[in-house]
Amino acid sequence: MNIHTYEKTWLAVTLVLIVGFIATITYGAVGPGIAMIDDDGGTIDPDTINDDERFGDPGVTHVGGNEYNVSVVAQAWSYTPSEITVPANSTVNFHVTSRDVTHSFTVVGTNVNTMVIPGQVSQMTVEFDEPGEYGILCNEYCGAQHHTMEGKLNVVPQDEFDLTEIDTEAPDEAQLGNETTINATVSNDMNYDLETTATLEIGDQTVEQDVTVPGHGSETVTFEVDTAELGTGDYDWTVTVDGHEDGDTLTVTNATEGGDTDA
Amino acid sequence: MSSVIEEEETERVRELGHEEYDPIGTAILVGIYFLILVALWIFMYFVEFLGNGPTVVGVLLTVVGLA
Repeated sequence: MNIHTYEKTWLAVTLVLIVGFIATITYGAVGPGIAMIDDDGGTIDPDTINDDERFGDPGVTHVGGNEYNVSVVAQAWSYTPSEITVPANSTVNFHVTSRDVTHSFTVVGTNVNTMVIPGQVSQMTVEFDEPGEYGILCNEYCGAQHHTMEGKLNVVPQDEFDLTEIDTEAPDEAQLGNETTINATVSNDMNYDLETTATLEIGDQTVEQDVTVPGHGSETVTFEVDTAELGTGDYDWTVTVDGHEDGDTLTVTNATEGGDTDA
Repeated sequence: MSSVIEEEETERVRELGHEEYDPIGTAILVGIYFLILVALWIFMYFVEFLGNGPTVVGVLLTVVGLA
């Protein structure tokens, strides 16, 4: 068969082009390690999402080292949690599922983008090298308020990141002379123990207590407050643990004045 | 009508050999299209896609869909 020189050249360069396409995709897979999102996440019954270990209490958990798991529940028209904070230089495994209809989990301006299908768990691994703020959007039309479905992803410097939370419980009112207690529950979602100090500030008093919170656990610190030392009045109080703060106001009343029976 | 076409077809001015046919202008044009295509591919993959991190990563098996 007699083939023209130009035609031979064309056959050769198109072959090079196809090989080039395959080579660049292979480079992407082997070099930067780019992956496709598939059905590895497995299936889940959308009606029992709340009973699932990951999705019952969605959010960020520490796996170990620089690795974190983030579970997200998408539903019309919000993400739970709506704001995700992870540290820089970390590897994050996202598990996303839907409670109702098909949504998407799209980190705007990046290649992190997956469909979120009810009954399926979309699983993907992402490495965050630099701190930054990203928007999360749904790009699968999911109903009337689809355009309002959004979330936020914060990648913060490592030294600004922790998974400590504080929640306090205390009476609003106490009678003068009585002892009252302020309970602070410190939770720690890292996989190692947190040794820290809880500080209560009320009136002019400052009380410190050392606390060790187990990994993936919580610990309650109890502060005894002697109202006799405070005197009557309103006292703003705060409990501080590792820069996290929670507080309220305690009203100390006279024994004779207090209560509804006085009126 | 048909006779006119027949006449034109048979009116041969010069016969070209297989390799004498040389559409160099078309070849250059196709070559330019080709270079644009290659440049766009490089830009799309290496600049727009790989440069648009963070990206979804994994082991090679998940990349090619074997696992």
